[in-house]
Amino acid sequence: MDYIYSILTLTGITMIGVMGTYMVTGLTGQFSFGQAAFMAVGGYVSAMLALKFNVPFVFAALAGAAAATLSGLLVGLPTVRLRRDYISLVTFGFGEAIISVLNNSAQLTGGAEGLVGIPKRVDLPLVAISVACCIFVVACYKNSKYGRQCLALRTDELAARSMGIDVNRLKLVTFLFASAITGYAGVLYAFYAQYLEPGYFNWTISAEWLIIVFVGGINSLTGALVSAAILTSLPEMLRFASAWRIIIYCVIVLLIINFRPNGIFGDWEINRLWKKKNNEKQRTPGKGAQA
Amino acid sequence: MSSGLLDVSGISKAFGGVHAVDEFSFTANPGEIVGIIGPNGAGKTTVFNLVTGVYVPDRGSVVLDGVTLSGKRQDEIARQGIGRTFQNIRLFKGLNVIENVMTASDPSAPYDFLSAILALPKKRAADRAAAEKARDYLSLVGLSGIEEARPEALPYGLQRKLELARALALQPKVILLDEPAAGLNPSEVRDFIDLVLRLHERFNFTIVFIEHRMEVVMNLSHKLYVLSFGKLLASGEPETVRRNPEVIEAYIGEED
Repeated sequence: MDYIYSILTLTGITMIGVMGTYMVTGLTGQFSFGQAAFMAVGGYVSAMLALKFNVPFVFAALAGAAAATLSGLLVGLPTVRLRRDYISLVTFGFGEAIISVLNNSAQLTGGAEGLVGIPKRVDLPLVAISVACCIFVVACYKNSKYGRQCLALRTDELAARSMGIDVNRLKLVTFLFASAITGYAGVLYAFYAQYLEPGYFNWTISAEWLIIVFVGGINSLTGALVSAAILTSLPEMLRFASAWRIIIYCVIVLLIINFRPNGIFGDWEINRLWKKKNNEKQRTPGKGAQA
Repeated sequence: MSSGLLDVSGISKAFGGVHAVDEFSFTANPGEIVGIIGPNGAGKTTVFNLVTGVYVPDRGSVVLDGVTLSGKRQDEIARQGIGRTFQNIRLFKGLNVIENVMTASDPSAPYDFLSAILALPKKRAADRAAAEKARDYLSLVGLSGIEEARPEALPYGLQRKLELARALALQPKVILLDEPAAGLNPSEVRDFIDLVLRLHERFNFTIVFIEHRMEVVMNLSHKLYVLSFGKLLASGEPETVRRNPEVIEAYIGEED
């Protein structure tokens, strides 16, 4: 039971992290290869505040997310002007730099041995509530003027600018929002696992999140979440196959990318199920089809 | 100096050694429909790109309603009141038809980040109003009833109309149309001319357009500028310009 409980908790935390990647990659079309570094910033800052200064969890969590946002600003300010392939280079470099700093400031962070003794403040219900809240705000963001402008600039920056959209500003706002959410995932992880080590946050995690977003459907939050849930728990479910499980995992990912290049869900969102019904109700006879 | 609504004077742009646009000037007065014609590669689209800020002119100035636009960012220029369409249609594929039109009002939508992520009543009211307005623009160009469709799934002619609706939704002072009839069949072209004339009659827009088809040029424009190798070749009333032997030689190549 404990085992399932922990898988569910970690899956929930991953889902929150993936939402950050979804926003940067799915909404604005940039590749963030260092998203997990924001998780590290959130986790370490909140954990150190709690350990060294006895800061209560709520404030530590806020500070963690704020620190992640601030580092997002540091990376985002110079990168939003860059072409998308350079952005992946810069975020990759930033991510690895953070890992290096954490590894090499052993007096503060415990270095490669890790930060131990973080109090346990996070359990499954809190993670579940957090996932629900994050889904709500991210879905609202996508559904607002911000989301529309992001999707517009993702398909065509030139046309987006000609519609008066401030492309750089919008990329930055989205990047910061994503950093905050990923940072919060780091806070949850720190106070759940009670232990942090830099190696957990390197680029392979960021790459995994990108894979999750692509498998789920680059333009679908629903897809990103479903695929996060499946792909995070899949290796665990395949545990009986021991050495083969990574291979099976890779084959499944390859098959999906190969046969559904737009991901499982493409740009389908779950709210279309009830949106469609509403539209049919709203459409009064005589209005509409006059084209 | 003339003082029209849109005053473009002496703009130049060179790419490497090529003078794509060389000392070109034109004026569009309020409510006027101005045509820019010229052979392929004459620099017509570059003129639009200079006016809308895609490129910064090497020399010369662009003034809209007393405000100097040259040097401003592309999105600032759009918000100052210049809407445009593109030669090769550039719709937003990730958005449906109505959302494409809504992007025009989104940059100035009256709600902030917090009300967006919490879907506060203020945000929902603003979005509803924007959707309502977008629906009006769609019905204006005859695209009612397909609000939820994907733009890339529409026939070419309808995509052109959608792009026009999106540009109109900016409520621009001047609207630039880059080869709006390209790729349309003859009946769609007549349809398009009627649509532009109807909209013009109703709203008295100021329009500057680039076109190849004589039918469109002659039916729409009040004033014509002929561009050849980046330079102004002739300008004036459409009929006079059409009879100008230099223009016939450069543009049409033969008498028709």
